[in-house]
Amino acid sequence: MGSDHIQILKRAIQREKLARKQAEKILEDKSRELYLITQELKNTNQKLEDQVGKKESALQGVFDNLLDAYIRIDILGNIIEMNHAAKKLFGYDITAEKINVGKLIYKEDYEYAINSFQELIAKGSFSDYQARVYTKNNGVRTVHINASLIIDKNENPIEVQGIVTDITEELERKKIIEEQKNQLSAIVENSSLGIVLTQFDKIIQTNIAIQNLLGYTKEELLQKEVKDISIKNEYAAISDNLALVNTGKIDNFSVNKRYKKNDGSSFWAKTNIAAVRNHNGNIKYQVAFIEDITEQLKIEKQRDQLVKNLEKTNQELKDYAHIVSHDLKSPLRNINALINWIKEDHIDVLNKEGVHHFTMIEKTLEKMEMLINDILSYSSVNNKENLQTQKIDLNLLINEIKNIVLIPENTTILVKKKLPIINGDITRIQQLFQNLIGNAVIYTDKKTGKIEIDYENKKSHYLFKIKDNGVGIKKEYHNKIFKIFQSLGENENSSGVGLAIVKKVIDLYDGDIWLESEPGIGTTFYFTLKK
Amino acid sequence: MSFTFLLIDDDEIERLKFARVLDKNGYSHKVVEAKNGEEALDILVQKNQQPDIIFLDLNMPKMNGIEFLKHLKSDPILQYIPVIILSTSNNHRDVKQAYEIGIAGYIVKPLKYEEYIHKIKCLIDYWTVNELIKVNL
Repeated sequence: MGSDHIQILKRAIQREKLARKQAEKILEDKSRELYLITQELKNTNQKLEDQVGKKESALQGVFDNLLDAYIRIDILGNIIEMNHAAKKLFGYDITAEKINVGKLIYKEDYEYAINSFQELIAKGSFSDYQARVYTKNNGVRTVHINASLIIDKNENPIEVQGIVTDITEELERKKIIEEQKNQLSAIVENSSLGIVLTQFDKIIQTNIAIQNLLGYTKEELLQKEVKDISIKNEYAAISDNLALVNTGKIDNFSVNKRYKKNDGSSFWAKTNIAAVRNHNGNIKYQVAFIEDITEQLKIEKQRDQLVKNLEKTNQELKDYAHIVSHDLKSPLRNINALINWIKEDHIDVLNKEGVHHFTMIEKTLEKMEMLINDILSYSSVNNKENLQTQKIDLNLLINEIKNIVLIPENTTILVKKKLPIINGDITRIQQLFQNLIGNAVIYTDKKTGKIEIDYENKKSHYLFKIKDNGVGIKKEYHNKIFKIFQSLGENENSSGVGLAIVKKVIDLYDGDIWLESEPGIGTTFYFTLKK
Repeated sequence: MSFTFLLIDDDEIERLKFARVLDKNGYSHKVVEAKNGEEALDILVQKNQQPDIIFLDLNMPKMNGIEFLKHLKSDPILQYIPVIILSTSNNHRDVKQAYEIGIAGYIVKPLKYEEYIHKIKCLIDYWTVNELIKVNL
């Protein structure tokens, strides 16, 4: 081998050495790099693991604290996982017993559940599934479920997870609200009052009654404003009140106003308008209750007219009494005076018959005056203006009447026992007793007339009896005699008003009057006076 | 003693009755007649010789008795003339109202002429024994 050759070899070795050195250095560098990367990877991994752990425990926390029940099942329906809420809802503990969801589904909902499950497998998820489930301790509950499918990397379904919400109570509440809503709308719809809901002027709701009243359909009314169904100037009148409601100064008001109907006519209605406010006190809408008062107004008008007529009639009656007392009596007085003058001045030219006729005229005048006086007292019995209540000793009153009423010698008046002291208006009570006693005296047809007065002290009233042995009254006349001008006999001392006055006085004191009588034997009048 | 009476009544026969009673019973009193309150006031204003006593009906056309009485009683001089009501009405309200305004008597006209004579005679006899003051405008 030549030195050249050696030299070449030496150089080659030299190069090789250098190259190896270089390679070694690269290797060294790379392995250091590798080491660093590995270290880094290790760190990252650790971090990742830590994070997964954290996430898992966070997720666990979420599951456990989830208010809704969380359930995970395998593809056969066996429950794999339940959170606290789920355990609480269903009452089962899967660590203690194995549960398949099939067991939990309410019998009637089973088919629906199966269909839904198949849908889930096909589509991967379902939401708003609602069904009833059995629970261990809480009976059947209605639940709402959102569920999704869990698949493996080959896209095969392996598990199902779902959120279960117990909506039993919510449904119950909804049902109650719905029921109340139905009840309310039944009331509103069937109300005979027209009800209109408005938002300021716009009509937003009406009931049947107002639709019928106005002759519009519900839809037509929804297109209208309040002023469209009101009379122009009347609407202006209510808008002041409406402003007060809108500003919160008042909550409601009531007006009588007219409404325009579809056919152009109008009707009067009492309208109650109330504000419905939200929690801020702002008006959400106004509700108006509308009552057709056309009839009512008509009746009121009629009633007013009646009252007016009655007042007029009453006044006329009073005037009439006055006319009777003055204007009718004056001519009688004048005739009496004139007859007397003729008798005085011309007695020498009058024969006996002429004088007799004048006497008959005078008697007729007297009868006429008596009649006028009786009518006058009859019409004033009810006159409250001169009604004065005082204590009346009936014993004294009867004695006085004995002096006033002309008692024939053959007639006796016997008071069977001491009479009570009563409260009343003396004029009227006297009229009562005087007319009854007077009647008994007038209608005596026996040789000796016997009149008996008696009474009984009852709890709330006195019962008086006035018995005579006179002509008697036939049964068919017993009611008739108390009516004015129904005098039965042709007795010249009877005007036919006496018993009518008696009845009126008794009515005034809430009493009653009746009689027992046998024609030819006598009559007993019974009457009561309230204490 | 001779009096002058003012009789205020719208009814002619009533006025005749009053005059006849005086005449037939020999009274020498003078009677001045008026048909209603208005006429009576005219007489009272014009005449120098005022009546000693006024007899007054209540129900009259134009100015009725009560209205006349109110006028009379508001006059500072005429108010002293005694007024006696001759009325058909014994209505408590009428009597009370008349006395409230101021009257010297209240006579209810009876139906019978004899009774009327009796009442008027009593009345005149009573007043003739009374002391009266002359009222002059």
